[in-house]
Amino acid sequence: MTLRLAIIGCGKIADQHLLAFRRIGGGEVVALCDRELLMANQLGDRFGITACFADAAEMLRTTKPDVVHITTPPQGHFTLAKLCLEAGAHVYLEKPFTVTAAEAEELISLAENKKLKITAGHNYQFTLEMLEMRRLVAQDFLGGKAVHVESHWPYDLSDASYVGPILGSKTHWVRQLPGQLFHNLISHGIAKLAEFLGDEVKITAHAHQSPRLHSLNGQEVQDELRVLLRDENGTTATFCFSTQIKPGQNFLRICGPKNSLFVDNSSGTLLRLENKSYKSYLTFFVPPLKLARQHFHNARINVFNFLNGKLHQDSGMKELIEQFHRSIKTQGAPPIPYREIILTARIMDEIFAQIKNPAK
Amino acid sequence: MLMDSIVSPTDRILVTGSNGFIGTRVVENLLARGFLNLRLFVRPSSKLDKLKQILGRYSAGKNAQIVAGDLLSREDCQAAARDVSVVIHLAAGFEKSFAGAFMNSALATRNLIEAFLELGQPKRFVNVSSFAVYSNLKMERHALLDETCPLEDAPQERHDAYGFGKVQQEKIVRDYAQKRNLPFVILRPGAVYGPGKPDLSGRVGINTFGFFIHLGGGNELPLTFVDNCAEAIALAALKPGMDGEIFNVVDDETMTSREFLTARKAAKPFFSIWIPYPLAKLGSVLWENYSKKSGGQLPPVFNRRRCAAEWQGNRYSNQKLHDRLGWKQKVPLADAMKLFLAQYQ
Ligand SMILES: NC(=O)c1ccc[n+]([C@@H]2O[C@H](COP(=O)([O-])OP(=O)(O)OC[C@H]3O[C@@H](n4cnc5c(N)ncnc54)[C@H](OP(=O)(O)O)[C@@H]3O)[C@@H](O)[C@H]2O)c1
Repeated sequence: MTLRLAIIGCGKIADQHLLAFRRIGGGEVVALCDRELLMANQLGDRFGITACFADAAEMLRTTKPDVVHITTPPQGHFTLAKLCLEAGAHVYLEKPFTVTAAEAEELISLAENKKLKITAGHNYQFTLEMLEMRRLVAQDFLGGKAVHVESHWPYDLSDASYVGPILGSKTHWVRQLPGQLFHNLISHGIAKLAEFLGDEVKITAHAHQSPRLHSLNGQEVQDELRVLLRDENGTTATFCFSTQIKPGQNFLRICGPKNSLFVDNSSGTLLRLENKSYKSYLTFFVPPLKLARQHFHNARINVFNFLNGKLHQDSGMKELIEQFHRSIKTQGAPPIPYREIILTARIMDEIFAQIKNPAK
Repeated sequence: MLMDSIVSPTDRILVTGSNGFIGTRVVENLLARGFLNLRLFVRPSSKLDKLKQILGRYSAGKNAQIVAGDLLSREDCQAAARDVSVVIHLAAGFEKSFAGAFMNSALATRNLIEAFLELGQPKRFVNVSSFAVYSNLKMERHALLDETCPLEDAPQERHDAYGFGKVQQEKIVRDYAQKRNLPFVILRPGAVYGPGKPDLSGRVGINTFGFFIHLGGGNELPLTFVDNCAEAIALAALKPGMDGEIFNVVDDETMTSREFLTARKAAKPFFSIWIPYPLAKLGSVLWENYSKKSGGQLPPVFNRRRCAAEWQGNRYSNQKLHDRLGWKQKVPLADAMKLFLAQYQ
């Protein structure tokens, strides 16, 4: 089965989807759609795609794609995804999946009723080191359920070209989201936690504005967020989003009852932290040497992957798209369990509710 | 004031990108010519210190209207273009992504032109383009590059989002001229230099690997000092009988890349190594081939087209600028270099 793909929303991320889709091979891009036809045309010109539309319904009617990737700002996700599902197309929805968890639940149940697949653009779950982490967890490297998980998601504000337009206009779509800047930036970091948490999560969230954002006239926008989470089984987690911490490391630490794992997404590396004790002074000599060996091993793997053309900057996106499309073709399970997509959305809802009304 | 101008001093002139490197100098040029009714478009997040300093220096500066908005918003464009006779359009997209550059260069221009045609009293639309629109891939080394040279037809291969935005921007201007009689002039400045822009032009070299690689060698640079460039822009906005014309903007006196770099390093030394053109070309070809072979694992930041455009070297002509616009280089090279280099002290 050759998948016929369409894209709705021809902004910056759409390029990445098309490049990844091209690398996977075997499919066909049948249409590009953007409310602003010129945007669809510019993408089409560069990728040699002629079917460009300004109206999603017309695009679906005319080209009948198998799968639609929706890469618009989040406010359009729910309506567009519903339209696509109702037209019988599978849907890949960029992050944040929807504006609210209620919308996420409705879309997923619609997809299930229609026997269609849907996924969220949580592509950082599918980088090479995250795949290796999942392989080890499946082999019970942790020695049981995770006891505690930590996720750090940094964002660099030194180049103000991203926040400039957001701060410049109260009507900018990012400012209109319930969680503003966080809403657009934290889904990847939260999705990493959702994988290890049960469905009933208690949350405490704190947010504030950094001095840097203040100096950029940040007004009501906040850019520092700390969250403490605990699920019904006692697994705890912390989440830290920061524009201030340097170096801005993007990492996930999974602490198990036997061993732990440290996944550094900034450098594409994974450390196995094994529970071993050493006699006397050997405690100070052996573990650092063993860690050094692991670091060396990580560097060797990255060089090897690079030489074999596997270390693409967006390897996570290619992997997620490939797995999602495969699940459509084989009618298998989608790459991200629906439970996790909904949990991510619920956690985000609760965080935004708490930081909006800290007294609550 | 020009003796011969398509607008009177009280006609409204809109300048977009007015707080920018070139924009501020264009504003000063217009104020010095006695224009009393300037509308200066900026973004709400734009830095305005330099612009406000200039406005403070001229009595007509008090009348200047600063309008904050985003050219991506049609309503903001309408507010900007109402009752305007001449638009000097300098705002542009410098984003690294093609979509981002396209939005702020091409889409913004479409919005602005539509608002101008609908609500303005259109006498002229001056579109400030760039040398980035040219492709010299099929030209000999050091051949003469003028307004008739071919435009880039594969910006994706050149991996140049900025150039793509500018090519598309020009296309939109020409389309509106054809379909809706937009009276336009396009200016293509070369490498604009001056105080307020410390970075060296990519035609001199690159800093990609953490140290400066000099790639321009003995090539002539298409230099234009920012005030000389602003003068050309003002003339293009005012001079009668220029509709539909395109002008390259380079100064009479220019320098080679090596001379420019030497002067720059004398002001504030830094480490650099020189790579001769054949080696740069070989490196670009290898990089481009590897990029293709690896499915873009390394983005094609170095490639044949970019190498030709930036480091192959051309000669440049400003004959048309002199002949048709009557432009003269106001600031001599020696003075321009003093002003430029002072920013490093
Ligand atoms: N510098 C050169 O060497 C050179 C050479 C050839 C051609 N040019 C052309 O000359 C023009 C001016 O360049 P420059 O060097 O003066 O650049 P600059 O200092 O970066 O100015 C660009 C201006 O565009 C504004 N802008 C960008 N997107 C906008 C939007 N969506 N709405 C409203 N304003 C927007 C920016 O506002 P913010 O301040 O808010 O960012 C800024 O004021 C450009 O068209 C460029 O392509 C420059």
